[in-house]
Parts: sequence; C-alpha cells; structure tokens
Amino acid sequence: MFSEQAAPTAQGLLAPPSGEPPTFPRLAVAGYSDLSQPFRLGERSFCRQYAHVYAVRLAGMRPRLERRARGRWGEDIALRRLSELQEGEKCCVVGTLFKAMQLQPSILQEISEEHNLVPQPPLPKYIQPCDELILEDELQRIKLEGAIDVQRLVTGTIVAVYGREEEDGRFLVEDHCLADLPAPLPWSGPSSDRFVLLASGLGLGSMSGEALLSTQLLVDVVTGQLGAEGEQSCAAHITRVILAGNLLSQNTQSRDTINKAKYLTKKTQAASVEAVKMLDEILLQLCSSVPVDVMPGEFDPTNYTLPQQPLHRCMLPLASAYATLRLVTNPYQASLDGVRFLGTSGQNISDIFKYSSMDDYLEILEWTLLAGHISPTAPDTLGCYPFYKSDPFILTECPHVYFCGNAPRFQSKLLQGKEGQRVLLVTVPDFSATQTACLVNLRDLSCQPITFSSFGADSED
Amino acid sequence: VTYKWLSYTLGVHVNQAKQMLYDYVERKRRENSGAQLHVTYLVAGNLLQNGHVCHKVAVVREDKLEAMKSKLSTIASVHVYSIQKALLKDSSPLYNTDYDIVKANLQHCSKFSAIHCAAAVPRTPPEAPRAPAPAQSPPRQRDPDGTSTVNGHGPRAAKPPPQQQKGIMGMFAAKAAAKAQDTAKEAKAEAKEAPGVSAASNKPLTKNSIMNNFFGKAAMNKLKASSVPEQPKEEKEAVKASVAVAEPESSPNTVAEKPVKKTESVRIQQKDKKSKMKRADRSDDEEERDPENVKKKRKRIKQLLSDSSDEEDVPPSPTPEEERAPSPPPEPVLKTELEPASTEVSVGGRKRKRKRVLKSKMFIDEEEGCMGKTG
Repeated sequence: MFSEQAAPTAQGLLAPPSGEPPTFPRLAVAGYSDLSQPFRLGERSFCRQYAHVYAVRLAGMRPRLERRARGRWGEDIALRRLSELQEGEKCCVVGTLFKAMQLQPSILQEISEEHNLVPQPPLPKYIQPCDELILEDELQRIKLEGAIDVQRLVTGTIVAVYGREEEDGRFLVEDHCLADLPAPLPWSGPSSDRFVLLASGLGLGSMSGEALLSTQLLVDVVTGQLGAEGEQSCAAHITRVILAGNLLSQNTQSRDTINKAKYLTKKTQAASVEAVKMLDEILLQLCSSVPVDVMPGEFDPTNYTLPQQPLHRCMLPLASAYATLRLVTNPYQASLDGVRFLGTSGQNISDIFKYSSMDDYLEILEWTLLAGHISPTAPDTLGCYPFYKSDPFILTECPHVYFCGNAPRFQSKLLQGKEGQRVLLVTVPDFSATQTACLVNLRDLSCQPITFSSFGADSED
Repeated sequence: VTYKWLSYTLGVHVNQAKQMLYDYVERKRRENSGAQLHVTYLVAGNLLQNGHVCHKVAVVREDKLEAMKSKLSTIASVHVYSIQKALLKDSSPLYNTDYDIVKANLQHCSKFSAIHCAAAVPRTPPEAPRAPAPAQSPPRQRDPDGTSTVNGHGPRAAKPPPQQQKGIMGMFAAKAAAKAQDTAKEAKAEAKEAPGVSAASNKPLTKNSIMNNFFGKAAMNKLKASSVPEQPKEEKEAVKASVAVAEPESSPNTVAEKPVKKTESVRIQQKDKKSKMKRADRSDDEEERDPENVKKKRKRIKQLLSDSSDEEDVPPSPTPEEERAPSPPPEPVLKTELEPASTEVSVGGRKRKRKRVLKSKMFIDEEEGCMGKTG
C-alpha cells in the first residue's frame, strides 16, 4: 500500500537540504457519524435481574431465526415452543443455549463452606469433554444431544435446533443453525485511497525503552514526521486512528495495594497515574494531526462491565483540548466515509475463547458475526449491564469492517455473505507484544499490518 | 542528535532536518576528520512475513542497513534517523531525546511535521464561569511546556492574563516579571507539573532558578521536601481536591500574583467550597503582607510560600478539576493540605495539652473515688 506509492522518492532524503519541503494536508474525513449511541448508558441502575437480558435477546432474535429455520429446513416445518413439544415429533425449536461446565468458576462454590475449596486459579480454557448443552426458552429447558458440537458453542447463543424429543426428556438434534449474517448495508465507500489505522494494546505503564520507541515510531509515521516524502504523503491519507483498548498495561492494575495495610500504601501512587499521563502526551501528539477514537479496554480506568463507557476526558487534559480526540465506548460503532465500522477491545472474543474449543481469534470473530451477537457470553461469564428493554449487542446490520482488539496476532479476512454482504474481519494485535498495527484501506476493504522495530542490545533478527 | 530534535531546535521542517543530518554525515566522512560518527537510519518498506505482506518500519544501525534493505521487497523510504558519537547499545537514548524534546514543545508538536490537519484545532473553552478563573493561572506557568489550551482554557482566557500580568509585574520584582511574561502559556495540566515536581525535583529547581534567587534555595528545598510527604495525604483527602489543580510548585511566582489573587478570591467565593474559601481568604490576607516581608525571615516566606501555593490550588484552575481525586496529585492540591495540616497540628497540640490536664484531673478523681470507696 504505502510502499508502492512511496518507492520512487524513497531515497530522496539522503541528500543535502533542498528547498522548502512539501507539507501535505491531511485528508479530511468526509462523513463521520458516531453510531455507538446504544452502547452509552445514561442512568445506570443495577437493581434488575440478569434474566431479562436473555428474555430480551431471545425475543429480539427469534423472528430472524425462525426465518432462517424455515429457509433451511423447509417452509412447513413445525416451530414449537418447549412447552408444546410432543414426544417423537420432528420440529424446530428456537432458544438460548446454556452450557453446563464443571470447570466454570462459580462464585457459589467458592464461598460455600462445606466444600472448603480454594478458589480456582484462572485457566486458559474451561472446556471439558463432559460439558452439556441445554436449550432454554422463555419457560422451560431441555437437554440437547446429537449432531451438535458441544465444545464449540457457548452459553448465550440463540440457536434454532431441528430434531425431536426422546422418551427420557432429551432432545435429539439432527441439525441446528445460527442467525447467520445480518442484513447487508449499502456500500458507499470512498473512491480514492483512504486509510484508517487500527491499533490496540498500547500497554503504557510498563514498557521498556524498546517498546516505547516503537510507540513513538507509530505516532511519528501517522503524524508525518517519519519517512521520506512519498511515505509522508501516503500517511496523509490516514484519515483516522482507532485505538481499540488496553491503552494501559496490565501492570498498572496493582491490585495488591488493596490487600496491603494502609500505612504501607500511603505514599505510593497508583501505577496507572503515570501511565495515563504518558497516554495523554501520546494522544496529544496524535490529536494535533489526525482524528483519534479512543476505546477503553480491559485494563483501562473505566467500568468493568460491557458496554464500557468512554474514558473521562479529565484524565486526558492535554489531549482533550483538541476537537479531534473522541472518547468512545467499547464496543464501538461508527460510520466513516460511508464505511461502517464495528469493533470491540477483545474482551468478548477472549471470553468465548476460554469457553469454547475454537482457538483462532479470527474464527471466533467470524462466529460471532454468524451468531448475530457481539458477545453471547455476556451476562454469564463476562460482565454486562442488566439490559431489560433491548439487547444492544444484537447485530442488526452487517458492518463493513468488524474488528476486535488485543488479539495475539494479526489476522484479517474478507467475508462474503449470501445476501451480498462484504465484511472485513480484522483481529488487531496487541501492540505492546507485537509492535504491529493495522492499516485498513477504505476503498477496497483491504488491510495491511504495519510493524515497527528498533534495535536492541541483542542482534537483530 | 535525532532528526526530530534537530527539527525542533532549529525550527525547520522535519524533512529538512533529515537532509541536514545526511549532509553533515557526508561532509564529515569526506573530510576524514577521524571522529567516528555512528549513524542510525530509518528504513521502511514491504516485507513478506507469515504469508502476507506487511509494512515494516525500522530503525537500524548503519551496519545493519544493507541487510535490512535486502530483506524488504520494496523500499518505501530511507533516511537518516540520528547521529551520535558513541555506538548505541539500544534505542533508549534515541527515545529519550525525542521524548524530552517533544515534551518541551508539546503545544506545537505538529508544527514541523509534513502533514497538517485542518481539523485539529484546540477547542475554545466551554463555559464562562470556568474561563475567568483559569485566567489567573496562565501567567504563573513559566515552563515552556504548556499547551495553549486545556479544558476550560482557551485563547480567550489567555488574553486577559497577559494584561493583568503586566500590571502586576510592574509592582513587583523585575525578575519575576521577566519570567512571568512568557507567552500566555497556560498552566497546562498539573499533569505535567505534578510528575515534574514529584518525580524529578530537579526540573522545577532548574526552571525556577529565579524563584531560588528570590527566596533562597533553602526555602525551595524545604518546600519541596514538605510537599513530597504531603503527597500521600492528598490521597486521603481526595474529595477536597475539587477546586485545586494545577499549580505546580514552580509558582513561587505567586508573590507576584497578589492582585490576581484578589480576583481569585472573589471567584472562589462563587464556588461552594466554604472551607477552602476560608483558607483562601486567610492566605490571601497573609499574602497581602507579603510584599513587605519579601526580604524578611525565610521562615515567614516559606510559610507564605506554602500558603500562597495553597492559594494556587484554591483558585479554580484551568484544568478541569474533575481530575480524579486519587489521580495525579496536582502538587498544589497537596499544598492545600500544607496549610490545614499546619493548623491542624497546632490545634491538635493545644488539644493534647488540654487533654493532658483533663486526664490527670480525672485520674485524681478516680483515685479519690477509689480511695473513698476503699477508705
């Protein structure tokens, strides 16, 4: 992308000072609209039960699933509720999946005194061969067996299963289907090259000099200070930067101060304080040159439950003076130049990773799109706000770019749907670990990773 | 010497700085002057990695330059990144140089860059009540690093201060005046100052050498020392921090801000923090006497200094007071504690004495009572 355009003038700066060097104006964003309004919570009240989330989710997705079921297994199949099931009759049921897992960390087990259990240490995966799938609808639940991949599915997914009820009260599944890709959005992307830089996991607060230099190089490339003229003019085509979470590193959490005595921790400052200051300075450099959207992540100072609310602008006094800084929610949805972006900071994907046999982040990302829901495990194993009116995580329209942050490595795929949907799936890698960010070209929905490196004490690889 | 450092120091476009570095290297090498120069280059290009083409940007030493260039399938750009006399083991000196120079020029960090963004203009201050308050702080900010706008600040706020300043300066020491007349650089986030003070106490010292002359180094040191232990207190008294924010210690210049303070105190009254108000008024009065006592005993000045710095916090500062309570203790906030702390101590002492007397009395009573009983 960059390289082909920049190659001709590559060596241009290896010369004595020339005349007035060119300055390139940054391409302005033609149309930007922030569509993450459903993810913003106004007055928050936690008095409600979480059961309402599931009820709303099922009600919201039932029509779509019924349509899909009819399309897949025939128009005349019987769609039944669980309460209407008759033994031996082939029918289709739509409901929420629940996976009963032995290893799932349960707070009740932890505090139960009769077990005298030590709390379970966090495991990378909690799946076990003896896990069971149960289908629930509004009133009843039934155990599922048969042609359904127990390991792969997670709690909270809305599925339609086709099969019949057995004598002993189990449901024998012959086939099942998910909601599939949502309705496509019309494409009105730009005709010229425009780029959006996706980066996540900056991980400030614990970095060595090496990693800090890479971050500085990233900022320099985007602001146009680095590179020969060709590259700088290409960088001027970057119309936006989206930072997808984990701006602070895990080390800034410093939870051990909670356990220590007060007199020991009196003189210490939270590690996140310094990190936020560094973040502020970096954002200031970026904001003075390009519009930036900042999404909070797992280790950032905002609420824990999804949807995470934007970082408060008082934490970034320098940078928030600029109108180009936008503090947004996680998940984030926006329309840039006619291209619809939707993405999260990765908590939903990594949660599914823990409870499913799927190992590939890109596969999981695609799966959530097919399931029609950003984060099916949300109230169960991932913190979530008790919605009761509607579930904002249901995907009603198919985005053009669907990304998740803090993935272990960069992956991208262009998915084509049956109804003409075109989605670019991108797993944005963790910058502090990989020094890689992604450049998405809005014109043709292609994506290129961009890596930064510097030399260290050891030899280069 | 990195290209960015050169660009900021000389005030030239970054590309010109890169070319200058290259030119210098070429010339020096041709002259064969004998001094070994080590050069690092920036190389960028396409690289086939893990099956897909990725754009790589790397800073490499001269000896690895060719190797890196051959690895890349297409080279997008090559230029000189930095020159140094010694061979660098790793890139942290490069980062540190860049970091320092950028920090020193934060408000126009894109001035010499090759890309200009029309949309990136600082916001104007949102509401009026906050704007006048911040107006006071700008003059105090003497460090070159000050963004011209911070929440609640704006070009608007910047204008009144200079005028006020000129008036104030006329009244007081010329030295203070000279420094304070720095362009209307607002007190940027204490965020900057606080770490400056708490972390590197050297910085404020060097930057505020004028104050040192004014008050004496001892005073400054004492102040710093007292402010550091006060820091943790800040965490305790979090909520109070609402008004305080950015006054970095560096504002011993407070002395000069007297009349400014007056207006501040007026504004302070508008705020709801009654306790702070009282303190502010008190310190305000104390400061009134300050000009006369300028050369008097250091102790007095020190105390005044602390008071005045307390004052600094109290005036609604430009930066949003929403600064979270536990968050970067604007040094000043801690200062606010200085004053109450001192008063508390004195009160506590008196109380203690009283208690002692009482206790002994009680003791006697009890004894008598006991005696009475047994007897």
